[in-house]
Amino acid sequence: MNEKLHARVRHMREQSLIRAWEYRQRSSSKGVWHRFRRVLADAAEAWIIGEADAEMLEARGCLPHPVGREFDPPKRLFFLAAGDLETIIQRTQVPVRLQGELLLARSLVLIPHARREIRAEEQSTTR
Amino acid sequence: MVAGSEVPNLLEPDARSTLVVSQDVDIAVPVERHAAVKESLGAIVGLVRSKEEPSVWLPGEADLIEVNFIGWDAHSARVGETYVLEDAELPLLVFGHLSLLRPGRTLLIEDLLIPLPRPAGLMLEKLLTDRSGEKGDRDLLVALALLLVSEESDFAEIELLYKGLAPDHRYAVLSGLSTLSLLEPRMHMPDPTRHRPLVADLLARLERTEANR
Repeated sequence: MNEKLHARVRHMREQSLIRAWEYRQRSSSKGVWHRFRRVLADAAEAWIIGEADAEMLEARGCLPHPVGREFDPPKRLFFLAAGDLETIIQRTQVPVRLQGELLLARSLVLIPHARREIRAEEQSTTR
Repeated sequence: MVAGSEVPNLLEPDARSTLVVSQDVDIAVPVERHAAVKESLGAIVGLVRSKEEPSVWLPGEADLIEVNFIGWDAHSARVGETYVLEDAELPLLVFGHLSLLRPGRTLLIEDLLIPLPRPAGLMLEKLLTDRSGEKGDRDLLVALALLLVSEESDFAEIELLYKGLAPDHRYAVLSGLSTLSLLEPRMHMPDPTRHRPLVADLLARLERTEANR
């Protein structure tokens, strides 16, 4: 009997059980990183913005994406057209990647990919 | 059939192999053809069977790379299951997700016939592979390479196969794609940062099938 191959099969079956558990937990906090990554996937650019600018955007009627409220402390994620960036005073562009600066940011402006329509879920976040 | 990271290279025009620098070649052996493949092992030149792992053949020459024989079960009662096909000479780890593979083109290169899978099934298999770290990232980047050689009919097939997956597997595919769109570039692999709109489009396309359920 090839014990090495059997050990790999056991490991893969364990991984499969973990995946099934993660799927069952997808609506709870376990799934929030998936939902956050999903939102970021739609962004061509990401900009960390200041709290005052985030307040200003909300005051102008831009509602942050709901996934940000699932974090503690909450994040404010705004999808804006590229032209609207000019109104943001304090902004720093960061790569749209799984890296600390982006993941730790409290307020982000995301610019969607060009030639793509903003999904219905995103549109609903704008008053 | 070749079933690993070499597939996108071979699917490039003229098999020009610019997408991925592979560390090994996976050969998917249909479980019903196991005996025939075993009989052919004696014809292999330049590789030697690993003593530790008989399904792995190691290069004896510098310009060759490792070959892994893996099991592909698309027809038996165990389709979708991951199991070991025991054999003293050629034991195989049969990967359940390989059942998504469908035969595609056969290339003829220097008198050698090289059967390849269609990109759709292999792409989903790569997204479903439960590996983490460097190997997991490489699987995702191979999935990207397959997207880059896909045509509209392949995207339609991805959608069709995706619809047939179990809910937790569909979730894993979407999760894998969103992770892929956020990966850093790696040497000798396709640059994910250049192709993020393509990945976002595929995500949206697959999500639309969820909405229509």
